[in-house]
Amino acid sequence: MDKTYCSYICSGCGIGDALDMEALAEVVTDEMSMECKSHECLCGTEGRALIEKDIADGINTVVIGACSPRVMEAEFDFGDDKITVRANLREQVVWAEVKPEEGEEPHAEAAEYLQETASDYMRMACTRAQKTEPAEPYLLEVINKTIMVMGGGLAGLTAAKESAAAGYNVILVEKDSVLGGKANGWRKSFPTKAPWTDLEDNPIDALIAQVTASDKITVKTGTEVARIAGAPGDFGVSFKSTGTDTEWDAPAKVTTEDADLIAKGELEDPNTGLQPYVEVDPDAVKVGSVVLATGWNPADVSQYEHLGYGTLTNVVTNAEFEKLAKEGKVPANVAFVQSPGGKDNDNDFPYCNSVTSMVALKQAQYVVEDNEDGKAFILYQHMRTPGHMELFYKNAQLNDGIFMTKAAVMQVSENGDQLSVAAEDTLLGEDIVLDVDMVVLAAGMEPTTLNDYSINLAYRQGPEFSDLELFDGYADSHFICFPYETRRTGVYACGGVRKAETMEEAVDDATGAALKAIQCIESVDRGVSVHPRSGDATYPDFFMQRCTQCKRCTEECPFGALDDDEKGTPLPNPTRCRRCGTCMGACPERIIGFTDYNIDLIGSMIKSVEVPEDDDDRLRILVFVCENDAYPALDMAGMRRNGLNHMLRFIPVRCLGSVNMAWIRDALSAGMDGAMLLGCKYGDDYQCHFVKGSEIADKRMENIGDTLSTLGLEPERCATEQVAITDYDKIPQILNDFVEEIVEMGPNPFKGF
Amino acid sequence: MNVQPDLEFIRSLKEAGGDTLKKCYQCATCSVTCPLSKDGSPFPRKEMIWSQWGLKEKLLADPDVFLCHQCGDCTTNCPRGAKPGDVLGAIRAYAYTFYGWPAPLAKLASSAKGLPMLIGIPVVVIFIMWMISGAMHIPTSEQFADHGYQQFFGHWGFKWYAKNIFFIVLIMVPSLGLGLFSAYKGITKMWKTMAENEGVSTEYRPSAVQFVKEFLWPSLIEIVNHDRFKECTDNRDRVRGHQPLMLAFIGLFIVTCWSLLKNDVIGLIWPSWHGPMLLMDPFKILANVSAVALLFGIAVLWSNRKKAEKEQDTKATFYDWFLIWEITAVGVTGLGAELLRWAGAPTLGYIVYFLHLVSIMMLFLYLPYTKLAHLIYRTTAYSFEKYRESAFAKK
Repeated sequence: MDKTYCSYICSGCGIGDALDMEALAEVVTDEMSMECKSHECLCGTEGRALIEKDIADGINTVVIGACSPRVMEAEFDFGDDKITVRANLREQVVWAEVKPEEGEEPHAEAAEYLQETASDYMRMACTRAQKTEPAEPYLLEVINKTIMVMGGGLAGLTAAKESAAAGYNVILVEKDSVLGGKANGWRKSFPTKAPWTDLEDNPIDALIAQVTASDKITVKTGTEVARIAGAPGDFGVSFKSTGTDTEWDAPAKVTTEDADLIAKGELEDPNTGLQPYVEVDPDAVKVGSVVLATGWNPADVSQYEHLGYGTLTNVVTNAEFEKLAKEGKVPANVAFVQSPGGKDNDNDFPYCNSVTSMVALKQAQYVVEDNEDGKAFILYQHMRTPGHMELFYKNAQLNDGIFMTKAAVMQVSENGDQLSVAAEDTLLGEDIVLDVDMVVLAAGMEPTTLNDYSINLAYRQGPEFSDLELFDGYADSHFICFPYETRRTGVYACGGVRKAETMEEAVDDATGAALKAIQCIESVDRGVSVHPRSGDATYPDFFMQRCTQCKRCTEECPFGALDDDEKGTPLPNPTRCRRCGTCMGACPERIIGFTDYNIDLIGSMIKSVEVPEDDDDRLRILVFVCENDAYPALDMAGMRRNGLNHMLRFIPVRCLGSVNMAWIRDALSAGMDGAMLLGCKYGDDYQCHFVKGSEIADKRMENIGDTLSTLGLEPERCATEQVAITDYDKIPQILNDFVEEIVEMGPNPFKGF
Repeated sequence: MNVQPDLEFIRSLKEAGGDTLKKCYQCATCSVTCPLSKDGSPFPRKEMIWSQWGLKEKLLADPDVFLCHQCGDCTTNCPRGAKPGDVLGAIRAYAYTFYGWPAPLAKLASSAKGLPMLIGIPVVVIFIMWMISGAMHIPTSEQFADHGYQQFFGHWGFKWYAKNIFFIVLIMVPSLGLGLFSAYKGITKMWKTMAENEGVSTEYRPSAVQFVKEFLWPSLIEIVNHDRFKECTDNRDRVRGHQPLMLAFIGLFIVTCWSLLKNDVIGLIWPSWHGPMLLMDPFKILANVSAVALLFGIAVLWSNRKKAEKEQDTKATFYDWFLIWEITAVGVTGLGAELLRWAGAPTLGYIVYFLHLVSIMMLFLYLPYTKLAHLIYRTTAYSFEKYRESAFAKK
């Protein structure tokens, strides 16, 4: 595209009062060779008209020096065919100026400092505009819009039903010979409507009938998914009969080290007899996206020896008890043990969430229903009945035959024909012994992903979800911000595989996952990214001629978007990509980039910052700020007029994972005195929108620290900080402290070289 | 403790006014707000779960159940509407039946179904006595004016002992005797159960004098002063009804004793002491004041209960209302008979007097089984509470 530029600076919102607008315009015209116009209110009708008139006259690349790019988005949107770059003069310059303490004079050079900062942001914005090219969306030649639902239980059936209702074709795969899954064994289900007190009939049969009657849904029972190859919009699924082995089964992940050992004949190839993961199955069925509803398995409770499961007759799990109740009458005296108990153990059984509490309340009612003088004892450490289910709990409580107490269950033992349950720390004020006919243990719901691949992907990063061990076997997605999503784009989990949940929750869950699957297909159809960069039309471009097959990008991509060929050359799958740029940050050859975000573009922005020499009051410290949380937090700090040191320069990045260490070198070799990465929390409770980005960035920074010390630079000149979006009050402190550290270290000794 | 919930017990508590007991979720707000709850042995939180679990033995051996004055502070503050105050009332009702002897009579007095029998027994007994006495006739106005009700059971020449008194004693003394004997059996059983439950040592037992001096008398003082009643914040009004009512009973007790002394002891020596008391006789004044206080007190309690039923959704139970009706009956028939005597209406007077005798007999006979039993059980619990803190109980 032939670009014709014009720059606009706004003097509204206090910008004009704090800055010399003419001098600022001169920086743009003289240094950046761009026309520059000022207006007192660019976002107003008049201001917009000014820009729109220029656009009508042929301007297609607009630089706006005004407020943060996070606000006034609609006002400064001139269409997809125009490039708009915004310099954040308001929140991060004028509003973030350090104000003198009460009664103190402002710094003699305060006005100059502010002017310098604003000038740098205009320089960076103009450079960005010059380096940005318009996005060309990646479009598949053929797109398949069928949704495959794995698992024909309640969640799967619901997802299939909802997807079909939205007009999509569905393939529903169930490994058993019948649909219905675990729900087939339930006698009653929880209340779903006011007054939330009475058990309801199991909805599963009606749901099965609805799904089988739909002409949009193809049901495959007795079938398993051998492998899923390809990418969203173009997945190729190999099916097989349940329990059989085929050459198209998903191959296990082989690490680079393992591959070497296999090649030397020192390790047996785990994938002998299987087709390589890149091989295309000619019989594969094409689907667009996948809903994973493979459900759960009852957790094993035999490890709790004092409870007698497996050794004592009539000690059963809740799932077994439900089956008994479905088949006939339950015993008259039953103890429901909700927690393993023992000394000082207040935990519930693993994987139980709130479900087992409600299951016990339900099953206790069977005891009273089936027996005239039935007695059900619920011994709990926690009674969890979220939302409306509180009313269900209250109602169960009213039942004469249901007895509840918080208790630590110490021992279940045989007592003639009966069982004795000994419990301590009860609400009754003393240790108790209960003589009962049956003991029901509240075994949890283990996701299928805990024990097998479940999803069987033919991906370079392996057939299963990554980092399962971090989340007790649950597929990793940001549970609160991005429910249903997984680390594999186009695969959306719902039901018991996502969370131990009730049937009611599973229905909501499945509906949500179906919508995400639809959203994914439609985004692929338009060639744009899914969440969290929804609608982003750019995608990473690889300059393959210069690739050294180092495999860093294929290894580090948090979403497994990159496969590779035998030599290790990456094979991108743009529809799997979430556009975080972690591959770009990883690439030592700097051959990966986006049209509006690449190594050269950011590198040039860095170089456009003016670095004064021999002036200890004018050090330059570069901060790469994650756009997702840190950047808005920084804006909020500005809105609250929390002062930020004048030596700081911020560059927004898609994710810290996309920060290429070349930029740090660029900054330091340009004479800047320090660099910081400001991004999301990582670790078990990570907040990174791309899951691994900030963690990877932190590792890279450790390594660059080593490089710096070999060069004789203090490794402390580079730092990473983790902040949350709510940390706007802490950010100024973090940044200003870093500046002070750098000031103490003194200027970069390579300045001016 | 091996726990065996008694479902029957739970159902009876629910019927006796504790219908909300299952709602409790053990937050202990009740024990915190209760003005009578002691630090060392707070209630009624523990009583709530014991009753939810149908632990009859625990509750029957628990003095705290009887120390509750049902002021309703806990009920007002209960976040779940479990009404601990009402539940404790229901437990007490159950306890009176449980400790009652003979059991069939206790059972009869515990429900509205027994009401025809409860009224029928004294009606028949008194009527038969009236027949046996041979005095079965309505007096003339002159006779009525001279003797009042003093010849209800007739008159004989034996001056040492009036025929009327003989019959009244014949009816009332066994009634009261049975009541007192049963009460004695009940409280000794309760004391034993409570002592066993507390693990109190029986090695050092107080003498009767010590017992009265150290435990019973201070308890009575507290009761008469209504010290604990006055602690209640929510239902303070009840003192205004209960205290006059209790004082009225004491007053009437004194008058009855004096009347007995006057007619049956002094009257033996000076026959002129026989006969109705003069209106200005101090004892007569006490009697009349007591009668008015009794009616006033019961009216306050009546309206309080009606109000609670309306505003707090308190369940109307036979247990509560039977006592209110009975005391009302005693007061109304007593004062009515007196007024009818002054009015010189012998027929109506005799009928009302007859009913008065019936209601008195009911009061005596059913004393240990009805709500009136709190008189003895709560006093016992007060004493026990002091006893268990004393050196006697602590080895």
